[in-house]
Amino acid sequence: MIEDRLTKEILNTLLRSGADFSEIFIQRRVSNNLRLEDSKIENSSSGYELGCGLRLWVGDSTFYAYVDSLEKNKLLNAAKVLSSSINGSSSLKVLNLTETKSSYSTSVKKFPGKIHPGSKKNILESVDKSSRDFSSTIIQVTSTLSDTREEIYIANSYGAFSFEKMVKTFLAVNVVARKGKDIRTGYKSLARASGYETFDFKNPKSLAREASKIAVKMLDAVNAPAGELPVVIGPAFGGVIFHEACGHGLEADAILKGASVFKDKIGKKIATSMITAIDDSTLEYHWGSYKFDGEGYPSSKTVLIKDGILQSYIYDLRTSKKLGAKQTGNGRRQSFRHVPVPRMSNTYIESRDEDSGSIIKSVNKGIYAREFAGGQVDPATGDFVFGISEGYLIENGKISFPIKDATLIGNGPDILKKIEVVARDLDFAPGFCGKSGQLISNEVGQPTIKVSKITVGGTEN
Amino acid sequence: MQDDKRYKVRDNQLINICKNTASRINKHAVDEFEIFTASSVENEIEIFKGKVETLSFSDSIGIGIRIFKDKSIGYAYTTVLDESSIEDCICKAVSNCKITGREDYNYLPGEEESTFKQKLIGDKSLFKEDFLNYNIESKVALAKRLETLTKSKDARIVDINNVMYDDSIYETAILNSAGFCDKYKTTTCLIYVSAISKQGEDTSTGDFFGCGRTLGDLDLEEVAEKAAGRSVSILGGKKIKSQRVDLLLDPIVSAQFLGVIAGTLTADSVQKRKSLFEGKIGQKIFSIDVDIFDDGTIPDGLSSKPFDGEGVIKGKTCVFKDGYLKTYLYNTYTARKDKTLSTGNAVRASYRSTPEVGISNFYLEPSDIDFNQLLGDIDRGFYVIDIIGLHSGANPISGQVSVGAKGIWIENGNLSYPIKEVTIATDILSFCSSIKKVGNDLRFIPSGGYIGSPSLLVRDIMVGGN
Repeated sequence: MIEDRLTKEILNTLLRSGADFSEIFIQRRVSNNLRLEDSKIENSSSGYELGCGLRLWVGDSTFYAYVDSLEKNKLLNAAKVLSSSINGSSSLKVLNLTETKSSYSTSVKKFPGKIHPGSKKNILESVDKSSRDFSSTIIQVTSTLSDTREEIYIANSYGAFSFEKMVKTFLAVNVVARKGKDIRTGYKSLARASGYETFDFKNPKSLAREASKIAVKMLDAVNAPAGELPVVIGPAFGGVIFHEACGHGLEADAILKGASVFKDKIGKKIATSMITAIDDSTLEYHWGSYKFDGEGYPSSKTVLIKDGILQSYIYDLRTSKKLGAKQTGNGRRQSFRHVPVPRMSNTYIESRDEDSGSIIKSVNKGIYAREFAGGQVDPATGDFVFGISEGYLIENGKISFPIKDATLIGNGPDILKKIEVVARDLDFAPGFCGKSGQLISNEVGQPTIKVSKITVGGTEN
Repeated sequence: MQDDKRYKVRDNQLINICKNTASRINKHAVDEFEIFTASSVENEIEIFKGKVETLSFSDSIGIGIRIFKDKSIGYAYTTVLDESSIEDCICKAVSNCKITGREDYNYLPGEEESTFKQKLIGDKSLFKEDFLNYNIESKVALAKRLETLTKSKDARIVDINNVMYDDSIYETAILNSAGFCDKYKTTTCLIYVSAISKQGEDTSTGDFFGCGRTLGDLDLEEVAEKAAGRSVSILGGKKIKSQRVDLLLDPIVSAQFLGVIAGTLTADSVQKRKSLFEGKIGQKIFSIDVDIFDDGTIPDGLSSKPFDGEGVIKGKTCVFKDGYLKTYLYNTYTARKDKTLSTGNAVRASYRSTPEVGISNFYLEPSDIDFNQLLGDIDRGFYVIDIIGLHSGANPISGQVSVGAKGIWIENGNLSYPIKEVTIATDILSFCSSIKKVGNDLRFIPSGGYIGSPSLLVRDIMVGGN
């Protein structure tokens, strides 16, 4: 996206005051966003962003700056100013740049730019119609469709550079159903690192019906119980439990700061032997996949936990160097405006051989949690929560009444030892994860699992 | 970044960008248009163990163009401001008009459509010249001081896992084809610290923040004291039995709950039937005489501004008076639908987004009851210091709220032992009617607006434990 000569000049300018490392991250992003509400397209917006982030290290300190431009003068000036924030000198110099290879490759079939705006509008209108046709109790449908095309070029003072073109599509539907005074919602999203063939992978209408079904079912919800109960957590979005209870605590920046309950636990048993957990940024077309992470390192599959034993943390370049571990390709950033930090990509619990139906049958009195609104964790203490958006009571081995939204609360290391059974119905769900003020795309995944006991935050004693 | 790199006010630069863009748009066949530009220069500093961990500088600018054509609206933005990129941006905005829905209310705000007629606040309050006197070294030193200070507050604090200093100089301008053309600028700074404490096997964290218009507004001593206190006071916390008890909510917690309520009071959510407050104007929602305001003109309010995201003058709106719901919050479009006037609540997160309806400084009026009086009024209860999972645990549309909580047990009006890993669950309307007393310790948090609340005594709420 810029000439090799200029890249080298910038990297060397960044190095000259004594930096140990320098990097340039260039991003071009073209996006389109459509929103439907009240059965009409309410917002149609297009964006164009182009910019460059410059990073250098000296000792343990990171210095970062960015410019909304690729103009030579502006880039060089920003590099000069950034390097002048440290005082020293360096003999480091970049002479050659070699392209980094990645084993992850994809092909885009339906480029967003080739899709007629009218066709995009049709997708949202079909979502609206399918939702409203589902039930007369549905009083509102909000649906958003967005596509982004990105080009990312990264080069660093180790002499490596990478280039990636990425296309992503995202469709979300939020349905509101009302009966008397009760208002309930249902939410579903479909997101892939691919073009409009995403909607061949899954039909928007079925997404709409799934969301509608949740909202309508929840109209009959009874109060959720309060207290400790066995909880069966459904596949796909259920993986949010691992994401919060363990995943964030394995991100190596928390380990480096001593702010994780999983520090010094490599090689130790931290979960029941049923648990094998993976972070894999190479799953084809998955929402959290990429060719290169935000530092130009190739994507990879990392076994985090094998049969209950902790194998690896989740690293970016800085933490892998500091902790003397191999990079895992998880240095991610929201955009050229952000410093990369260790983040999960597609993170999931592997299937075992149990049947999900028999797991439900094994519960006398408990909860079946099917869909979730997200979660949060404090990695330093391991305390985490996640919110159920579609849940049911289990009574005598059978799913009975739907329950109102409730939060589950637990402590990561404690809950990992309470995952008793793992089924074979592994599935994934896309979402956005926020950390250090940066929102990135990722997926959670798991088969149906059973947690022997966790606190359910309902209103019924 | 260096002293000679002192920030130079952009002054008319943004207005000029707007004017140049306007003359370009005039060559296109459109009915009306609006140009929004914003620039910000930011510093972010993170300190770890006495050293700079990260130091970021940013200087960015962007432009957002809203085109009105045949009663449809199209939007586009760009961060690249050369002639061809702006022309592209205009073309995209024009073409985006073709697929959005037509609506009679889609036209620019007229001068007579604002509730407030006179600008009540300006750069004098929002932009502190003094802020420009601080160089990067003094900001780093301040963040380092906060780390040391917090650590020194209690021997049980073993690590400071996060110290952050963040500031920005923000300038913005709006020009529209109905004749509006104005600008303003702001300075803001924020500090944050999170402390890890240990006692035996138990680990606890506590955090706090401070914010203001210039570094002199930041009270490091208070931030350190609060963060340390919030961390160590939960040490040794345990789960309690599930039960219904009275809650005493810390202002930080109250304000977060108030934020959920605020989101349901926009005319947009009401008109789209996504609000529990639909059809409730004039009804008593709180069981006590609570007053709640949205005021975009408070001198030290971080969400104060002379005009909103579509150029409508900001003022003070009473949303609840004596516990009665008085009004929703409006932008021009939603006001036209309800045949009323805009309350100046069009909000733009950045040039990337169109004006939506949102809060500015939104707060619950404090009383003269102090914290100890509130505490003394509780026989058995839970003093909630912090909550977790509000974004996934509160559904503003259905009104259900269920979040994780930690704090201290209250026995006969006294603070007793620490509690953690429990939940509190209610719904928005029950929560409003369960508030029985309001404290005098109003505090604001920056969270999608600037939301303020004093401590609240809330009776009979379900706590989930074991």
